[in-house]
Amino acid sequence: MSVTSAPEHEELNQLLMQCGRNDQKAFAELYRRTSSKLFGVCLRMVRDRGDAEEVLQETYTAAWRRAASFDSAKASAITWLVTLSRNKAIDRLRQHRVELLDEPSRLEEIVDEQPTPAVEAETSQEHRRLERCLDELEPQQRSSVREAFFTGATYNELATRCKVPLGTMKSWIRRSLMQLRTCLDQSA
Amino acid sequence: MNTPADDGNNNLRYAEYVLGVLDADARAEVAHEVMASDEAATAVALWQRRLLPLADTIADVAPAPYVWARIRDELQLDAPPPAVVATRKGLWNNLALWHWLGIGASAVAVALLVMMGLPSRAPTPVEANVSYMAATIQQDNGSTGWTATMDPQRGRMVVVPGSPVAFAPGHAPELWLIPAGGKPIAIGMITLDKATTLTLAPALLAKLDTTAILAVSVEPPGGSPTSQPTGAVVAKGAIDHAVTSGTPGKVALRVDGEALRGSA
Repeated sequence: MSVTSAPEHEELNQLLMQCGRNDQKAFAELYRRTSSKLFGVCLRMVRDRGDAEEVLQETYTAAWRRAASFDSAKASAITWLVTLSRNKAIDRLRQHRVELLDEPSRLEEIVDEQPTPAVEAETSQEHRRLERCLDELEPQQRSSVREAFFTGATYNELATRCKVPLGTMKSWIRRSLMQLRTCLDQSA
Repeated sequence: MNTPADDGNNNLRYAEYVLGVLDADARAEVAHEVMASDEAATAVALWQRRLLPLADTIADVAPAPYVWARIRDELQLDAPPPAVVATRKGLWNNLALWHWLGIGASAVAVALLVMMGLPSRAPTPVEANVSYMAATIQQDNGSTGWTATMDPQRGRMVVVPGSPVAFAPGHAPELWLIPAGGKPIAIGMITLDKATTLTLAPALLAKLDTTAILAVSVEPPGGSPTSQPTGAVVAKGAIDHAVTSGTPGKVALRVDGEALRGSA
């Protein structure tokens, strides 16, 4: 990924704070350096390129308007931006929920996506730690967590796609989340 | 549910919120809590820190230049457009730029399909035997109106606007496939400012080869009222196999001089 090193994180934090002071050049620079990352996230979730472009637009317009509320002590700029883009993408998905339910074929394409070796080598330490903790989950539960994260699907949608009862899916995800928390907090 | 006793339901809800599994109402509730309560905001931030690293594996995809233009428009900014910078992903991230320059449609083709999310994995160089097809749909003024990318295996086509000429109100662009020596076959309506994904029917796929051309005509917003083009042809381009490796500059695209209406 292009934005994982600590100095780069700090530079992005500075740029986002400058946006909070209405610095348009900083905003253009922030967009130049983060938009490919965020567009990848948007596209991964909403799938349709036109929709992803709209979600990306909503993300950056919201980022510009809310930049003054950014606090680097709570989250890095890139985490803040990725979170914003995921939230916008999920909002969009919820508006189109019915249509998505009609696409069961999506499941095979997506479930249990593993990073390619090349991508893996570039990922952050935080990511490698998370992967180690994910590896400790049962395969089906690990797949469900990934599917949920990458597609923004609701419990209902996940249960339909994985062909399990809603209660089972909720139980898998909740247990996984608690296990992940324990694992991550221990190794932090 | 066998969650440890110290895990309050609230904490679980925050985790579910960050993961993205809550429905619209439950999401709105948590979002409201995050605004109203420091405790909720802190818990959500912690979960973001735990789970967001998953996004590291998502491949970067450069958005088309018009997205930044729209953002500037919406915010009424006057900052200059950001320079497009080649990154280490080279080919993949430069595709939008090539496309924007109106060259290298074939090479752009494969990448656009990747951008559309068709292959579910991170983009890796596509094997040469994958038979994507592409066309640069050029306008009379020589500039690229649209770039079309076809995936015959999946029966899908992605059409991305380059710098299409303006259309008068009440008119819209319609895309046609013209087989060699045959009549135009409607593919679908496209737009001047957004990528369009079109499904290619089997009958259409059967005619899709490098002897056919793509053309865009001016039609009513709902499409041609007949099965043939009724308005002027504003752009056309030959279909070619997409090049999956090598430099984009080497890709030569034949521009067919035949007028669409002449063969109609």
